[in-house]
Amino acid sequence: MNIAELPIGAMAIIVGFGIVNEFTERLQELGLTPGTTLKIIRRAPFKGPLEITYGQSSRLAVRPNESTAILVKQIG
Amino acid sequence: MTTSATIAFVGTPNCGKSTLFNVLTGLNQKVGNFPGVTVEAGIGTLTVGKSHFQLIDLPGTYSLSPKSRDEELTLAVLQGREPSLPKPDAVVFIIDGTSVEKGLFLFSHFAELGLPTIAIVTMIDAIKAQGGALDDITLERELGVPVLSVVGHKGIGIEELNEQFTRLSEFSVPKKWSDSPMTHHERYTSARELAHRVINIQYNDKRSELLDKVFLHPIVGPLVFLIVMALFFQSIFTWAKPLMDGIADSFAWLQAVVSTTVPEGLFQNFITKGLIAGVGSVLIFLPQILLLNLFIVILEDCGYLARAAFLVDRVMGVFGLQGRSFIPLLGSFACAIPGIMSARIIPSEKDRMATMLVAPLMTCSARLPVYALLISSFIPARLIGGVFSLQGMVLGGLYVLAAVSGLLIAGVFKRTMFRGSKLPFLIEFPPYRMPSLKSLLVTVWNRSKEFLRTAGGIILVLSVVLWALTEFPHTNIPAGTPTIEAERMQLEGSFAGTLGKTIQPMFAPLGFDWKLTIGVIGSFAAREVFISVMGQLYSADVSGSDAPLREILSKAIGLPAALAVLAFYVYALQCISTIAVLKRETGSWKWPAFAFGYTFILAYGLSFVVYRIALGW
Repeated sequence: MNIAELPIGAMAIIVGFGIVNEFTERLQELGLTPGTTLKIIRRAPFKGPLEITYGQSSRLAVRPNESTAILVKQIG
Repeated sequence: MTTSATIAFVGTPNCGKSTLFNVLTGLNQKVGNFPGVTVEAGIGTLTVGKSHFQLIDLPGTYSLSPKSRDEELTLAVLQGREPSLPKPDAVVFIIDGTSVEKGLFLFSHFAELGLPTIAIVTMIDAIKAQGGALDDITLERELGVPVLSVVGHKGIGIEELNEQFTRLSEFSVPKKWSDSPMTHHERYTSARELAHRVINIQYNDKRSELLDKVFLHPIVGPLVFLIVMALFFQSIFTWAKPLMDGIADSFAWLQAVVSTTVPEGLFQNFITKGLIAGVGSVLIFLPQILLLNLFIVILEDCGYLARAAFLVDRVMGVFGLQGRSFIPLLGSFACAIPGIMSARIIPSEKDRMATMLVAPLMTCSARLPVYALLISSFIPARLIGGVFSLQGMVLGGLYVLAAVSGLLIAGVFKRTMFRGSKLPFLIEFPPYRMPSLKSLLVTVWNRSKEFLRTAGGIILVLSVVLWALTEFPHTNIPAGTPTIEAERMQLEGSFAGTLGKTIQPMFAPLGFDWKLTIGVIGSFAAREVFISVMGQLYSADVSGSDAPLREILSKAIGLPAALAVLAFYVYALQCISTIAVLKRETGSWKWPAFAFGYTFILAYGLSFVVYRIALGW
């Protein structure tokens, strides 16, 4: 499954990336490497960006339609 | 003064780098001038004892594989490839103490460049507040460079850092993390492992989480957003007004003083109407620029800007823009000058270009007097359905039309000229922090100074050119002619008058006579100048109010032509100052020329359609 399919409050582990491009490259530079645990915190109004938290109190928002390449396994 | 050394500041975005830079260099800085779209990289000087240092605040980056022009600049300077700057002799590498792993990840790349370095750990007060501590001895050993902890906004550690600059020989080349290429995963694994060893607690930003329960709440969040934006708009639209009036009044006073002391003639005319008026037309923008920048820097530094962008991203995304485009566009409703300058908060160059190019379409406050004049002269003061004023509805309609068109056009630009982006869309939420007052004032001051230095010069030159167009050639006016009559004769006989009459056939399809055409040309100085030019052409005294002109205009031009002028002003980029700022921010004359061209076509088209429909009524 991809990150946009996770419900709010879900925990997941990144298993890989659907494509290799600047976006997935940047995500890894921010610490979202395969094996990283993340949590879905909230979603902006009208199906807006998705806020996730991971690592050492890092918080990031991505657009759901642009982040389907982030493949995850839900763990909680 | 000779510079002892050039020292670059490197770090991830939001690591406290610019705050530290501002605290160290204060007002002794300028914005670096690099070709192309403006990059905010400050260059400052620092004097410690007898040594002078050139400090460079390089744009923040997450790695050394650049994904934007800002990040490219950082890499180019560090590699000594940037022609306008020397290769740094040493580097101050800044690591955010609350997010050490990201800083160390960047450091792992940076270490490979082999530059003499000192590492600074910031925000250590936040770690201490949670009972944690930094093991700087381990960090020094592992990185191979001296480590200092500094709290920029509280001034802690600043003196030690200053002193360190005088002992540049102690800066050392970092240890390489590995001899073989490392994957991102390997780098992060090492960075996290080291982070755990040097900071003994898991930093937990409870305060930000709590605040975000309110600021990002599905209902309360958007409400707070609306209040903050209303306050923001209010500050530049209303609060700037008394300051701007003050500037206008002082320049009018100065003109009056010069008129009475300098003998009448061309020289006096040049000083008062050319030079003083020109300088005044530059300074008049300062209050809005100061207030808008103050507001944006506060929002950015305290961490709310990222949250605002998060909330409004979906809406702006419909038009191909992003959340951060909202603020420059909103600001442009007061004035496009500070609006376009504030587009620097948009990291993606393509989104920024699209935003800047449509910013002049937002209905700025200079259009308001023109709208007021024409609407009150031609639109009957009637109530529609007993509640809605027809005049008010027309005015509101003009605002909505301009805003919707601007957003749609931005969407077209994003799907054509500025398609795709190397820089992916991401919003990082920094912790909420109290902004450093000194850093804030320094930033606002430097941006204002930079406006005066760069765009201000262009505006002044263009203002003087416009003055010359209306004052030359000189018309011989018989003695005893009333001033108001004399002004009309001079304007009619001038180059501007001749130009208006010559190009009038081009505007004939819009129903503009030669007087309206001169009015449109004259209002390039600023849109509201339309009123004084029309006043001169119709010999109406508009110094007190535009009422005398209203009466004359409503008889002199028909409703179709009046509506056509209104329609023209909705789109036309009638403002030399906006052109000057677009040139500054995009780095070339190409983009202001393009913006002028496309808005002119829109203005002409809409005006033509409106005129034809109104004629057929």
